[in-house]
Amino acid sequence: MSITLDQVTKRYAGAPVVNDVSLDIGDGEFFVLLGPSGSGKSTLLRAIAGLSGVDHGRIALHGRDVTHVAARKRGVGLVFQNYALFGHMTVAENIEFALRVRHMRAKARRQRRQELLRLVALEGLDQRLPAQLSGGQQQRVAVARALAHKPEVLLLDEPFGALDAKIREELRRTIRQVQRELGITTVLVTHDQEEAFAMADRIGIMNLGRLLELGEPHDLYSRPATRFVATFLGAANLILARRTPDGIQMGANTVAAAESSPGVHEHEVVAVVRPEELEVAASREGLSSGYFARGVVHEVVFTGAHESLRVRLEDGAQTPLLAQADGDASASLLVTRTQHEQRGFEVHPGQSVAIGVRRVHVLPTPLSSFTACAASAALTDTLSRQPLLAELAVRMKTRIAMRAEPQLGVADAACAVDSPFVGTTAIASQTDCAQRAEWLLRRGAQDLLVLPEHAAVPQRVLIHWMDEAARSATLAVSASVLRHLSAEAVYVGIFPEQSASAHPQHGMRELLDARSEAQLAHGLEMRTELRFGDVAQQLARRLAEAPAQMLIVGVTELTRFAERLGGLLDGGQWPVLIVYRGSP
Amino acid sequence: MSFRQPSVLPGFGLTFGFTTFFLSAIVLLPLAALVLAAASMHWSDFVHVVLSPRALGSYRLSFGASFLAATINLVFGFIIAWTLVRYEFPGRKLIDALIDMPFALPTAVSGIALTTVFAHNGWIGRYLEPWGVKVAYTWLGVTLALTLISMPFAVRAVQPALLEVQRDLEEAAETLGAHRLYVFRHIILPTVLPALLTGFTLAFARALGEYGSVIFIAGNLPMKTEITPLLIVIHLEEFDYQGAAALGLVMLGISFVVLLAINLLQAWGRRRHVRAAH
Repeated sequence: MSITLDQVTKRYAGAPVVNDVSLDIGDGEFFVLLGPSGSGKSTLLRAIAGLSGVDHGRIALHGRDVTHVAARKRGVGLVFQNYALFGHMTVAENIEFALRVRHMRAKARRQRRQELLRLVALEGLDQRLPAQLSGGQQQRVAVARALAHKPEVLLLDEPFGALDAKIREELRRTIRQVQRELGITTVLVTHDQEEAFAMADRIGIMNLGRLLELGEPHDLYSRPATRFVATFLGAANLILARRTPDGIQMGANTVAAAESSPGVHEHEVVAVVRPEELEVAASREGLSSGYFARGVVHEVVFTGAHESLRVRLEDGAQTPLLAQADGDASASLLVTRTQHEQRGFEVHPGQSVAIGVRRVHVLPTPLSSFTACAASAALTDTLSRQPLLAELAVRMKTRIAMRAEPQLGVADAACAVDSPFVGTTAIASQTDCAQRAEWLLRRGAQDLLVLPEHAAVPQRVLIHWMDEAARSATLAVSASVLRHLSAEAVYVGIFPEQSASAHPQHGMRELLDARSEAQLAHGLEMRTELRFGDVAQQLARRLAEAPAQMLIVGVTELTRFAERLGGLLDGGQWPVLIVYRGSP
Repeated sequence: MSFRQPSVLPGFGLTFGFTTFFLSAIVLLPLAALVLAAASMHWSDFVHVVLSPRALGSYRLSFGASFLAATINLVFGFIIAWTLVRYEFPGRKLIDALIDMPFALPTAVSGIALTTVFAHNGWIGRYLEPWGVKVAYTWLGVTLALTLISMPFAVRAVQPALLEVQRDLEEAAETLGAHRLYVFRHIILPTVLPALLTGFTLAFARALGEYGSVIFIAGNLPMKTEITPLLIVIHLEEFDYQGAAALGLVMLGISFVVLLAINLLQAWGRRRHVRAAH
C-alpha cells in the first residue's frame, strides 16, 4: 500500500472536521477525494502532506509511519489550487527549488529541469517569471516543481479550481498522462464530480468529515449506498418506495427491481432512479420499460447532447418524491433524454406523458422517512418542527409524515390510524415516555426516535444494544444516522458488576467484534468504551457527562421495557433512538 | 509629452495645481530660503562653520546613531511585525496599538522618560552602572532615544508586506524539503525586502531629524554627545542665523544623498528581477 490512513481524526475547536477516516491507496493508483466544500477533504490531504497534524490515528506512506514526521521529510509533492509559485523566482528556479534544497549539482539540476518541462509541455519557458505565464502554464510549473524531487506520492489540492473549462480539460489530460508515465501514486481533492469521474481509478466521497463511500466511479454511480452519494454524484430522483416480494413498488405500480430479494417482509425503502433511467411516452403501451406513473411535463431544457425534462406526477400525493440533486423537494421528476429519444417522441411543456422506469437502485439504508407521532394533530405539528428532527430530515433529504394517535400510551387501546408504521417514528420525550414507546413498539413501530423539546444535532452518538441479537440492526441504523451527522460514534459496552473480574476477555472480545462489524459491513468507524454496572444507570451517567450527546440503543425484548429504560426516556434530556427488532 | 492622462476622475489640472502649490509652499520654498541664507555667507566663513571640529563631531554622532537606530529597528521591527502578523494571542490588539505610542507622545516626554529609567540611579541604569555601562549622557543614550522614536516606522512599513506573504508559499517550500531557515532566507526575506528597506529609510530619516527626545538624554557635551540639530539650535540662540543655515544645508545634502542611494538600491533590485525575466 502506498498510502495508509488508520482512523485519522482532526478536530477544530472540538468539532471533528476529519472524522475517523481509514483508507488504503495502492501503488500507482489515481485516487480522488470528492466532497462538497467543508467536507474535510482538503484537511485530510494536508494531513497526508504533513502540513497539519492529526488528533488521532496514524498515517503511513509506503509502510513507513509518518504520523509525526515533518512535511519536508515525507517525500510528497503537493500542488495547490492557487499554484503557490515563488513569484520572485523564475520558472527554472521554481522547479529546481527542491533540488537546490538537496544540494544537487547545477548540471544535474538543469538536466532534471529540462526533463520536467518536457513532461508538462513547457519547454523553453525556463527564464520566465510566474507572473508572465497564464494560469494553466503556472499550474503546469507547479506540477513540475512538485515532481522535481521524485516524490513517492503526488497530492493535488483542487488544482483546476482557478482555470477556465478548456484549459482545465487540457491540464487534466496532461496530469493523467504524467501520472501514468511516472506510475506515481496520486491523490486529487476536488468538489467536481465530473472531474472525479474523468480522472479517478477510485473515488472516495467525503461529507461532514466522514469518508462515506469508496469505489470505482461506475460502481459508485450505479450503486450508491447513501442518499448523499446518490445525489452528489450526478442527478438522482429519490423516491420513497415499498419493497415487496414481487419487487419494488412505487406508487400504485410495481416496477421490477434490479436487485430482487425474495423472502423479505414488506417495508419502506428509498429508491434511486437516475434521470437517464426514466423514459417518457405518449401512453403506457408506448413504453419499453415498466410503467411507473403519468405526469405532466412542465419544463424542457435543451443542453446540447441531452434534453432534460421536469415532469410533475399526476398522482404525486401517492408517490412521495424525496428530492432531486438540487435539493428541490417539489414533486417533480428529472428525466434526461438523448437526441435519439427526442427524435422518436417530441415533448412540449404542458404535455401529459406516461413515465417508465428502466432501472431502480434501492439504498441499503434502514432509515427511509420520519413520522411524527403524538396524541393530537397540533402536537404532531409541533413535534415535526423539533430542531433535531427537522435537521435530520433535511440532511437525509426525506420527509416527515404526521400521525395523530389520541390513544397513544393507553394500554390495550388500538391504533387510530389503520396503516402500518413505516420508517422511523418520532415522539416527544415526556414523563411517561417509556410507556408510550412500548405502546408504539408493540403496535409495529421499529425505529423509534425519542426527542426532548430543544435537543439539537449531537456531537457524539453513543451506541449500545441490550442483547447480541440486536447488534446488526443497531449497527446498520447507527451507521445510517452517523452518515448525516458530523458526530463521533462511541460504542458503550456494559457488563454486570460481578463479571468485571470473571470475564474480562469476553468483554473485550465483544467490543472488538462490534467494531469490526461496524467497519466491514457499514464503513463506520467507532470508538469503544467498557463500563461495568447497571445498563440504564451507566448509560444515563455517560450521557450526563457531556453536552450534545445522543443515544442509539438496540432492543429485541419488550418485557419490563418501561422498567428497564424508564430512567433513560422519561422526561429525558437526551435524544434516544430505539432500534427494536423483535416480534411486536 | 502630454500632462493629460486618461483617468476615471476628472480634474487633473486642478489636482496637479494643488500638488505643485503645496509642495512649493511647504517644502521647496523654506528649503530655498535655507539655501539663500547660507549663500549670503562668505565661502571661508561657511567652511569654517561647517568643518569645525565641533560640527564634524556632531555629524558623526547624528548620522552614526541614526544609522545604528535604523539598523536595530530593521531587525527588531521585523520581529515585532512578524509576531503581530503571524500569531494570535491575548493582548495582540493592545500591543499593536502600543507600537504607535512614540508617534503620539511629545518627543520631550519620551526623552525625559528614558532619562529617568537609564540615568545612573534610574530603574535600569542602576543595574548597568556596576558593569561600567553608562547609557544616559553618552552616545548609547542618543541611539536609544532615536531607536525608540523611529521604531513605529520600521514596524508599520513591514507589517503589510508580511501580511501578503502567503502561507501557501511557505507550505509549498516545506513540502519540497526546505527547513525553516531556508524558507525564511529564500521565500520570506526576498518578498519583504523592499518593505524592509522602506522601513529602514523612514526610520533613518526620522531619527536624523529628531531633536526633542535626544537633548534630555544626551547630556549635550560638545564633540561627544552633541547632535547636529542641537548645534543648529545653539547657533540660533547666538543669533547666528547664517551658521545655523549652513549646518542645515549640510544636513540636507547628506540626507538627500543617503535617501537617494537607498532608493536607487531598491530600484536596482526591482530592475534585476525584471531583467531576470527576459
